[in-house]
Amino acid sequence: MPFFRKDKPSVIAAFTRGPEHTVLVDFRAPEAGLLADLLRDLLALLDEDSLSAPAAADAPSRNTDPLAAELGLEDLGDDLGLGDLGSTTPVSQPQDPALARLFPDAYPDDPEAAAEFRRYTQADLGAERRRRASVAVASLARIHGGGRLSLSEKEALAWLGALNDMRLVLGTRLEITDDDQEPGQEFGPDDPRSAYVPVYYYLGYLQETLVEALSP
Amino acid sequence: MTEPVEDAERSWTTIVWNDPINLMSYVTYVFETYFGYPKPKAHKLMLDVHHRGKAVVAKGGREEMERDVSAMHSYGLWATLQRA
Repeated sequence: MPFFRKDKPSVIAAFTRGPEHTVLVDFRAPEAGLLADLLRDLLALLDEDSLSAPAAADAPSRNTDPLAAELGLEDLGDDLGLGDLGSTTPVSQPQDPALARLFPDAYPDDPEAAAEFRRYTQADLGAERRRRASVAVASLARIHGGGRLSLSEKEALAWLGALNDMRLVLGTRLEITDDDQEPGQEFGPDDPRSAYVPVYYYLGYLQETLVEALSP
Repeated sequence: MTEPVEDAERSWTTIVWNDPINLMSYVTYVFETYFGYPKPKAHKLMLDVHHRGKAVVAKGGREEMERDVSAMHSYGLWATLQRA
Protein backbone atom coordinates (compact mmCIF):
# COMPACT_ATOMS: atom_id res chain seq x y z
CA MET A 1 0.00 0.00 0.00
CA PRO A 2 2.29 2.77 -1.21
CA PHE A 3 -0.39 5.33 -0.41
CA PHE A 4 0.25 4.83 3.29
CA ARG A 5 4.00 4.30 3.41
CA LYS A 6 5.55 6.25 6.21
CA ASP A 7 8.85 6.92 4.50
CA LYS A 8 7.17 8.35 1.44
CA PRO A 9 4.20 10.43 2.49
CA SER A 10 1.57 10.10 -0.16
CA VAL A 11 0.55 13.32 -1.79
CA ILE A 12 -2.03 13.28 -4.52
CA ALA A 13 -1.18 15.25 -7.59
CA ALA A 14 -1.00 19.02 -7.41
CA PHE A 15 -0.33 21.51 -10.16
CA THR A 16 2.69 23.72 -9.50
CA ARG A 17 4.43 26.53 -11.35
CA GLY A 18 7.24 25.40 -13.60
CA PRO A 19 9.88 27.43 -15.44
CA GLU A 20 8.87 29.86 -18.20
CA HIS A 21 5.14 29.93 -17.56
CA THR A 22 4.85 26.16 -17.63
CA VAL A 23 2.77 24.23 -15.14
CA LEU A 24 3.92 20.90 -13.74
CA VAL A 25 1.95 18.02 -12.34
CA ASP A 26 2.83 14.47 -11.31
CA PHE A 27 -0.01 12.06 -11.94
CA ARG A 28 0.01 8.51 -10.64
CA ALA A 29 -1.29 5.98 -13.13
CA PRO A 30 -4.72 5.62 -11.42
CA GLU A 31 -5.19 9.40 -11.33
CA ALA A 32 -4.24 9.76 -14.98
CA GLY A 33 -6.62 6.92 -15.86
CA LEU A 34 -9.49 8.40 -13.88
CA LEU A 35 -8.98 11.85 -15.41
CA ALA A 36 -8.76 10.42 -18.93
CA ASP A 37 -12.04 8.54 -18.36
CA LEU A 38 -13.79 11.62 -16.98
CA LEU A 39 -12.52 13.76 -19.86
CA ARG A 40 -13.81 11.23 -22.38
CA ASP A 41 -17.17 11.22 -20.60
CA LEU A 42 -17.22 15.00 -20.85
CA LEU A 43 -16.40 14.85 -24.57
CA ALA A 44 -19.20 12.33 -25.11
CA LEU A 45 -21.65 14.56 -23.25
CA LEU A 46 -20.58 17.48 -25.44
CA ASP A 47 -20.79 15.40 -28.59
CA GLU A 48 -21.21 17.71 -31.54
CA ASP A 49 -24.06 15.71 -33.09
CA SER A 50 -25.96 15.73 -29.82
CA LEU A 51 -25.40 19.42 -29.28
CA SER A 52 -26.51 20.35 -32.75
CA ALA A 53 -29.19 17.69 -33.26
CA PRO A 54 -32.46 19.15 -34.47
CA ALA A 55 -35.02 18.94 -31.68
CA ALA A 56 -37.71 17.65 -34.00
CA ALA A 57 -35.66 15.28 -36.15
CA ASP A 58 -37.45 12.27 -37.64
CA ALA A 59 -35.02 9.87 -36.04
CA PRO A 60 -34.64 10.54 -32.34
CA SER A 61 -30.97 10.96 -31.50
CA ARG A 62 -29.78 9.20 -28.41
CA ASN A 63 -27.29 11.01 -26.31
CA THR A 64 -24.75 8.60 -24.97
CA ASP A 65 -23.13 10.11 -21.95
CA PRO A 66 -21.04 7.31 -20.44
CA LEU A 67 -21.00 8.94 -17.03
CA ALA A 68 -24.76 9.35 -17.10
CA ALA A 69 -25.12 5.77 -18.28
CA GLU A 70 -22.83 4.55 -15.55
CA LEU A 71 -24.80 6.49 -13.01
CA GLY A 72 -28.08 5.15 -14.34
CA LEU A 73 -29.10 8.56 -15.55
CA GLU A 74 -29.09 7.89 -19.27
CA ASP A 75 -32.69 9.00 -19.65
CA LEU A 76 -31.69 12.53 -18.76
CA GLY A 77 -29.71 12.98 -21.91
CA ASP A 78 -32.17 11.56 -24.38
CA ASP A 79 -33.55 14.76 -25.70
CA LEU A 80 -31.26 17.71 -25.50
CA GLY A 81 -33.88 20.02 -26.96
CA LEU A 82 -31.22 22.19 -28.44
CA GLY A 83 -32.90 22.72 -31.76
CA ASP A 84 -31.00 23.17 -34.96
CA LEU A 85 -28.09 25.48 -34.33
CA GLY A 86 -27.57 26.13 -37.99
CA SER A 87 -31.07 27.30 -38.71
CA THR A 88 -33.19 30.18 -37.54
CA THR A 89 -35.26 27.88 -35.33
CA PRO A 90 -35.22 29.14 -31.77
CA VAL A 91 -32.84 27.17 -29.59
CA SER A 92 -34.03 26.20 -26.15
CA GLN A 93 -32.16 25.35 -22.99
CA PRO A 94 -30.82 21.77 -22.96
CA GLN A 95 -33.02 19.42 -20.95
CA ASP A 96 -30.14 17.53 -19.38
CA PRO A 97 -29.46 19.54 -16.19
CA ALA A 98 -25.69 19.18 -16.60
CA LEU A 99 -25.79 20.61 -20.13
CA ALA A 100 -28.20 23.29 -18.96
CA ARG A 101 -25.59 24.26 -16.36
CA LEU A 102 -22.84 24.42 -19.01
CA PHE A 103 -25.06 26.40 -21.38
CA PRO A 104 -27.22 28.66 -19.17
CA ASP A 105 -29.78 31.21 -20.33
CA ALA A 106 -28.22 34.63 -20.86
CA TYR A 107 -31.62 36.36 -20.63
CA PRO A 108 -33.62 34.58 -17.92
CA ASP A 109 -36.70 36.79 -18.37
CA ASP A 110 -36.68 37.05 -22.14
CA PRO A 111 -37.01 33.66 -23.88
CA GLU A 112 -36.72 35.21 -27.34
CA ALA A 113 -33.47 37.03 -26.57
CA ALA A 114 -32.20 33.93 -24.74
CA ALA A 115 -32.85 31.76 -27.81
CA GLU A 116 -31.21 34.32 -30.06
CA PHE A 117 -28.14 34.44 -27.82
CA ARG A 118 -27.98 30.64 -27.78
CA ARG A 119 -28.23 30.45 -31.55
CA TYR A 120 -25.17 32.64 -31.94
CA THR A 121 -23.03 31.33 -29.10
CA GLN A 122 -23.88 27.74 -28.21
CA ALA A 123 -22.13 25.94 -31.06
CA ASP A 124 -18.91 27.89 -30.49
CA LEU A 125 -19.08 27.37 -26.77
CA GLY A 126 -19.56 23.63 -27.25
CA ALA A 127 -16.58 23.53 -29.62
CA GLU A 128 -14.43 25.44 -27.12
CA ARG A 129 -15.39 23.01 -24.33
CA ARG A 130 -14.52 20.04 -26.55
CA ARG A 131 -11.22 21.67 -27.51
CA ARG A 132 -10.19 22.13 -23.88
CA ALA A 133 -11.07 18.55 -22.95
CA SER A 134 -9.24 17.25 -26.03
CA VAL A 135 -6.10 19.23 -25.13
CA ALA A 136 -6.18 17.69 -21.66
CA VAL A 137 -6.67 14.17 -23.07
CA ALA A 138 -3.81 14.67 -25.52
CA SER A 139 -1.47 15.89 -22.78
CA LEU A 140 -2.28 12.84 -20.65
CA ALA A 141 -1.37 10.62 -23.58
CA ARG A 142 2.19 11.99 -23.34
CA ILE A 143 2.79 10.32 -19.99
CA HIS A 144 1.26 6.96 -20.87
CA GLY A 145 -0.59 6.31 -17.67
CA GLY A 146 1.42 8.23 -15.13
CA GLY A 147 4.40 10.48 -14.51
CA ARG A 148 5.42 14.10 -14.69
CA LEU A 149 3.55 16.30 -17.07
CA SER A 150 4.90 19.66 -18.15
CA LEU A 151 2.12 21.83 -19.55
CA SER A 152 2.48 24.98 -21.61
CA GLU A 153 0.45 27.92 -20.31
CA LYS A 154 -2.08 27.32 -23.10
CA GLU A 155 -2.45 23.68 -22.14
CA ALA A 156 -2.77 24.59 -18.47
CA LEU A 157 -5.59 27.02 -19.30
CA ALA A 158 -7.34 24.26 -21.25
CA TRP A 159 -6.98 22.00 -18.21
CA LEU A 160 -8.46 24.72 -15.99
CA GLY A 161 -11.55 24.95 -18.19
CA ALA A 162 -11.90 21.20 -18.55
CA LEU A 163 -11.54 20.59 -14.81
CA ASN A 164 -14.21 23.19 -14.14
CA ASP A 165 -16.53 21.66 -16.73
CA MET A 166 -16.05 18.20 -15.19
CA ARG A 167 -16.86 19.61 -11.75
CA LEU A 168 -19.98 21.39 -13.04
CA VAL A 169 -21.25 18.18 -14.66
CA LEU A 170 -20.41 16.02 -11.66
CA GLY A 171 -21.76 18.57 -9.17
CA THR A 172 -25.02 18.74 -11.11
CA ARG A 173 -25.27 14.93 -11.23
CA LEU A 174 -24.63 14.86 -7.46
CA GLU A 175 -27.45 17.39 -7.04
CA ILE A 176 -25.32 19.94 -5.25
CA THR A 177 -27.59 22.94 -4.79
CA ASP A 178 -26.38 24.64 -1.59
CA ASP A 179 -23.03 26.13 -0.63
CA ASP A 180 -22.83 24.21 2.63
CA GLN A 181 -24.21 20.93 1.34
CA GLU A 182 -22.21 17.75 1.76
CA PRO A 183 -22.79 15.95 -1.52
CA GLY A 184 -24.21 12.45 -1.39
CA GLN A 185 -25.65 12.69 2.15
CA GLU A 186 -29.17 12.12 0.91
CA PHE A 187 -28.31 9.25 -1.45
CA GLY A 188 -29.53 5.77 -0.62
CA PRO A 189 -26.96 3.08 0.23
CA ASP A 190 -27.08 1.61 -3.26
CA ASP A 191 -26.94 4.88 -5.16
CA PRO A 192 -24.11 4.50 -7.70
CA ARG A 193 -23.48 8.23 -7.56
CA SER A 194 -21.97 7.89 -4.07
CA ALA A 195 -18.78 6.60 -5.65
CA TYR A 196 -18.37 9.94 -7.42
CA VAL A 197 -18.46 12.09 -4.28
CA PRO A 198 -14.73 11.63 -3.55
CA VAL A 199 -14.03 12.18 -7.25
CA TYR A 200 -15.83 15.50 -7.00
CA TYR A 201 -13.68 16.56 -4.04
CA TYR A 202 -10.55 15.33 -5.80
CA LEU A 203 -11.28 17.45 -8.88
CA GLY A 204 -11.92 20.47 -6.65
CA TYR A 205 -8.58 19.99 -4.95
CA LEU A 206 -6.80 19.63 -8.29
CA GLN A 207 -8.48 22.73 -9.67
CA GLU A 208 -7.59 24.72 -6.57
CA THR A 209 -3.90 23.94 -7.08
CA LEU A 210 -4.14 24.84 -10.75
CA VAL A 211 -5.79 28.19 -10.01
CA GLU A 212 -2.94 28.92 -7.64
CA ALA A 213 -0.31 27.89 -10.17
CA LEU A 214 -1.87 30.15 -12.82
CA SER A 215 -2.79 33.13 -10.65
CA PRO A 216 -1.10 36.38 -11.61
CA MET B 1 -22.11 53.68 -33.06
CA THR B 2 -25.29 52.24 -34.53
CA GLU B 3 -26.74 51.18 -31.19
CA PRO B 4 -30.16 52.58 -30.40
CA VAL B 5 -30.30 55.14 -27.63
CA GLU B 6 -31.49 52.67 -25.01
CA ASP B 7 -28.53 50.41 -25.74
CA ALA B 8 -26.06 53.19 -25.26
CA GLU B 9 -22.89 52.91 -23.28
CA ARG B 10 -23.27 51.37 -19.81
CA SER B 11 -27.02 50.78 -20.03
CA TRP B 12 -26.61 47.00 -19.70
CA THR B 13 -25.06 44.93 -16.96
CA THR B 14 -23.41 41.53 -16.69
CA ILE B 15 -24.55 39.72 -13.56
CA VAL B 16 -22.83 36.70 -12.05
CA TRP B 17 -24.96 34.50 -9.79
CA ASN B 18 -23.85 32.43 -6.86
CA ASP B 19 -23.56 28.72 -7.44
CA PRO B 20 -22.43 25.98 -5.06
CA ILE B 21 -19.92 24.33 -7.40
CA ASN B 22 -17.49 26.96 -8.63
CA LEU B 23 -14.52 27.47 -6.31
CA MET B 24 -14.17 30.88 -4.69
CA SER B 25 -10.53 31.07 -5.77
CA TYR B 26 -11.52 30.24 -9.33
CA VAL B 27 -14.24 32.91 -9.48
CA THR B 28 -11.74 35.49 -8.17
CA TYR B 29 -9.23 34.30 -10.76
CA VAL B 30 -11.79 34.74 -13.57
CA PHE B 31 -12.67 38.30 -12.48
CA GLU B 32 -8.99 39.12 -12.24
CA THR B 33 -7.84 37.65 -15.53
CA TYR B 34 -10.85 38.24 -17.79
CA PHE B 35 -11.88 41.72 -16.62
CA GLY B 36 -8.40 42.74 -15.53
CA TYR B 37 -9.68 43.82 -12.12
CA PRO B 38 -7.08 44.22 -9.38
CA LYS B 39 -7.09 41.30 -6.95
CA PRO B 40 -8.85 43.19 -4.10
CA LYS B 41 -11.71 44.22 -6.41
CA ALA B 42 -11.96 40.73 -7.91
CA HIS B 43 -12.02 39.21 -4.43
CA LYS B 44 -14.69 41.65 -3.22
CA LEU B 45 -16.89 40.93 -6.25
CA MET B 46 -16.52 37.19 -5.61
CA LEU B 47 -17.61 37.71 -1.99
CA ASP B 48 -20.58 39.80 -3.16
CA VAL B 49 -21.64 36.95 -5.43
CA HIS B 50 -21.14 34.45 -2.62
CA HIS B 51 -22.92 36.35 0.17
CA ARG B 52 -25.57 38.31 -1.72
CA GLY B 53 -26.34 35.68 -4.31
CA LYS B 54 -25.28 37.81 -7.26
CA ALA B 55 -23.21 40.80 -8.29
CA VAL B 56 -22.96 43.18 -11.20
CA VAL B 57 -19.49 42.52 -12.57
CA ALA B 58 -19.54 44.78 -15.64
CA LYS B 59 -21.56 47.58 -17.25
CA GLY B 60 -21.63 48.59 -20.87
CA GLY B 61 -23.41 48.43 -24.18
CA ARG B 62 -25.52 45.38 -25.01
CA GLU B 63 -23.06 43.80 -27.44
CA GLU B 64 -20.20 44.25 -25.04
CA MET B 65 -22.21 42.69 -22.20
CA GLU B 66 -23.19 39.77 -24.45
CA ARG B 67 -19.50 39.16 -25.06
CA ASP B 68 -18.83 39.24 -21.33
CA VAL B 69 -21.72 36.89 -20.52
CA SER B 70 -20.56 34.53 -23.24
CA ALA B 71 -17.04 34.59 -21.78
CA MET B 72 -18.40 33.94 -18.28
CA HIS B 73 -20.34 30.92 -19.62
CA SER B 74 -17.14 29.65 -21.20
CA TYR B 75 -15.45 29.90 -17.80
CA GLY B 76 -18.41 28.00 -16.34
CA LEU B 77 -19.79 30.91 -14.34
CA TRP B 78 -23.55 31.39 -14.20
CA ALA B 79 -23.99 34.80 -15.82
CA THR B 80 -26.89 36.75 -17.27
CA LEU B 81 -27.33 40.21 -18.70
CA GLN B 82 -29.99 42.76 -18.05
CA ARG B 83 -30.65 46.45 -18.41
CA ALA B 84 -28.96 48.62 -15.83
